[in-house]
Amino acid sequence: MNGTKYANAVGAVRAMENALLTKNDIEQLINSKGKAERESILASKSGTSNVETMEAVWEMIHEYAPDCKELEILLYKNDFHNLKAVLKAVISNREPSLYFISPSNVELNELVDAVSKKNYTLLPEYMQKAAEEAYELVTNTLDGQLSDSLIDKALMQAMQKSSDEFGSEFMQKYSRLVTTCADIKTAYRCCLLNKSAQFMENAICGNSDLDKEMLIKAALGGTEALFAFLETTSYSNGAVLLKESTAQYEKWCDDVIMDLADTARMQAFGSDPLAAYYIAKEAEIKNLRILSVCKEFGADKETITERMRKLYV
Amino acid sequence: MTNGLVLALIGAALAALLAGIGSAKGVSLVGEAASGVVSVDPSKFSKVLLLELLPGTQGLYGLIAAMFILIRTNVLSGNAAELSVQQGLGFLAASLPIAIVGLISGIMQGRTAAAGVSITAKKPDHNGKAIIMAAMVETYAILALLISVLMILNIGV
Repeated sequence: MNGTKYANAVGAVRAMENALLTKNDIEQLINSKGKAERESILASKSGTSNVETMEAVWEMIHEYAPDCKELEILLYKNDFHNLKAVLKAVISNREPSLYFISPSNVELNELVDAVSKKNYTLLPEYMQKAAEEAYELVTNTLDGQLSDSLIDKALMQAMQKSSDEFGSEFMQKYSRLVTTCADIKTAYRCCLLNKSAQFMENAICGNSDLDKEMLIKAALGGTEALFAFLETTSYSNGAVLLKESTAQYEKWCDDVIMDLADTARMQAFGSDPLAAYYIAKEAEIKNLRILSVCKEFGADKETITERMRKLYV
Repeated sequence: MTNGLVLALIGAALAALLAGIGSAKGVSLVGEAASGVVSVDPSKFSKVLLLELLPGTQGLYGLIAAMFILIRTNVLSGNAAELSVQQGLGFLAASLPIAIVGLISGIMQGRTAAAGVSITAKKPDHNGKAIIMAAMVETYAILALLISVLMILNIGV
C-alpha cells in the first residue's frame, strides 16, 4: 500500500480547504466598509474561526499526521528567526518571548537554555552549528547583520539538507524556491550597499536554481548587471518587479510558492497536500494582515488588491 | 476425503481469502480518508459511506465463488463428493480469477474511492462522479466472478 500515506489527514485537509477564503471573499473584504463588516464576512466562512492562527493550523495538521517529519521543514524559518531573536535577547538582556514566532519545532525555553548555557546539543542537529557560530560571531564582532546573514544561510542549507534526506520532491522544490528567492534578494541588497565579494560569498546560500558565482559576479557589477543576469533566468518576472519595489518582489515570491502548492491539489495521498494547506493558510493569514493594515491606514482598493497574495482556492 | 476434494477446498478458501483481503485493504483505506473528512464535516458521512462500501464487494464475490464450489462438491450437504485430482484441480483453477482479481481490484478500487473522497469533501455535488470512477474498477471483479462461476458450474462431478 505504498503511496497511500496520510489518507486520513488528506481527507481532513480537503474538508478544511472549503473554509479557505476565495477570490470573491477577498474582494468582499476589500470592499467592506469597516471592521465589523470584515468580521461578519470572515465569520460566514464556516470553520475559519477555528484555524485563524498558524499555531492552530499547525496543531491541526500535526494532529492528523503526527509522524510526518518532512512537514517540520515548513517551520524551519520560524526556528531560525527565533534563534536570531533569542541570540539578540540573551546578549542584550532583553525578554526573548517578545520576538518569538509560533509555530516552531523548538520551544522558546529550549532555545534560551541552549544559547544562555552555550549547550547547543539541546537544539535539533540542523540548528546546532549555526547557533554556535552565530553566537561567537555576534559576541566577537557585535555585528548583528553578519550573524543574521549567517543564520539565514544556515536556514536555507538546513531546509535543503532535510528535504533531500526525507526525499520529498515537493519539499525539495519548496526549499529551492525559497532559497533562490532569498538569494536574489540578498544579492540585490548587497548590490545596493556595495558589499564585497567576500560578504556576498558568505551571505548567499547557493545550491539554488541560480549559479552562485554568476549571481555574485552580476551583483558586483551593479544593479543593472544584476537585473541583466536575472532576465536570462527563469526568475526574470521576479527581477522586473524587484526593479520596481521589494514589496512587489516579495509578493511575487509568495505567489511562486503558491503555484508550487497548487500542484498538490490533485494529489489524494501523501504529505504534499498537507504542506500545501499550510502554505495556503499562511498566505491567507498574510492577506488578512495586509488587508487590515491597509484599511487602517486608508489605502485605496487598487493598492490593497495589488498587495494581495495568490490564493490556493 | 480425496486429494481432489482437498484441492477443491483450497480453491474455495483462496477465493474467499484473497478477495476478502483485497476488500479489507480497500475499505480500510477509504475509511481512513472518509474519517478525515467526517472529523471536519460530519454532514458528509452518508456521501463518503457510499464510496467506502464500493471496495467491499470483492469480498462478497469471493464468498459467492467459494459457496458455489462448496455446493457443487456437496460439502454443505454433508455428503462430500469423491473428486479425482483432475476435478479438484479444475475447481482450484476456477477459483483463481476471482481470488487474484478480487485481491488486486479491491486494493485498487480502495485507492480510487479514497481519492474520490477528496472530490466529495470539496465538491459534494459531484459525489456521483467519484462513485462512477471507483465503480469502473468493479467491472473487472465482476468479469472475474463470471468466469469463476462459469468454470465451477461446468466442471463435471
